[in-house]
Amino acid sequence: MEKRVLVVDDDPAVARVVQRALLQKECAVELAANGVEALEVLRQGFRGLVLMDVHMDTLDGWDTISIMVEESLIEGNLVVMLTGDLSPEPRMEGLKEYVLDYITKPFQPLALAELVESYFEDLHPGKPQS
Amino acid sequence: MKPRHLVIIGSSAGGPRILKELFSNIPRLKAGMVLVQHMPAFVNAPLTQSLNQVTGMNVMLASDGDVINEGTVHVIPSGLHCEIEQNQIIRLRGSEKVNFVCPAVDVTMKSIQSQRHLNLTGVILTGMGKDGAKGIAYMKSIGAQTLAQDEHTSIIYGMPQEAAKTGQIDFILPTNKIAEKLVEILPHWH
Repeated sequence: MEKRVLVVDDDPAVARVVQRALLQKECAVELAANGVEALEVLRQGFRGLVLMDVHMDTLDGWDTISIMVEESLIEGNLVVMLTGDLSPEPRMEGLKEYVLDYITKPFQPLALAELVESYFEDLHPGKPQS
Repeated sequence: MKPRHLVIIGSSAGGPRILKELFSNIPRLKAGMVLVQHMPAFVNAPLTQSLNQVTGMNVMLASDGDVINEGTVHVIPSGLHCEIEQNQIIRLRGSEKVNFVCPAVDVTMKSIQSQRHLNLTGVILTGMGKDGAKGIAYMKSIGAQTLAQDEHTSIIYGMPQEAAKTGQIDFILPTNKIAEKLVEILPHWH
């Protein structure tokens, strides 16, 4: 099974660090600098794990997830938030069932990559059924 | 008559990671467990399967009418609320969101009734929002033991904090100690 990860972050330095760590785990990584770019990738058929920054100037993470839900782009995509906030905004409660995990910055890149790998092993619908 | 043991677990964002750690440390116990995890529907089966691989309990995705069995964890599927009829039968019905989610932990916990020879335990794990707080306070009022995850090990300290704020939580514990406590208070298979 191909481990496809979409990294959505408007900080190129963060995106590069995450990309490097994920490549060590043999993930196929795509980058998007904001929610608009992420939605384009998703509309083109991306299915995998989405690592989503919360605060982005052009369409933030929560608004992007709202649109993913509206357009049924959530189906088949595991969503993990990547953020500097210690806790999510209460107004985002309505989206909580679509978010599997919440990782706060700063993070250890290798630990993050291992977590992503474990999600592919445990939860992705494309994983082999035993 | 021997007592029956029923455990209701509520969990949300960050839950899959925490549940894997929790159930890795739980052998087959003589208790029926019901797990309400907020998640997209396509994760139902993989989560059930991955938990089944790490615990001594039998983990299965619940269907309407299932009887809660000792040694089994019944995972409630997305998109339906779970009420437990006569403390024994899983009823899946209704899709209107409660606390912004479906299934809601509160709905399941509030469906339990006080009963002789029934030992109840409620657990609230990591997650955003308030779901489960009213439910676990209700469970305490009918004699349940109540546990909530601590702030340090919660991925998001929302649901466990709201549960703790009710003043009705007996034990606020890190993930590994929650497993230890369940192993301590629930009978084992021999």
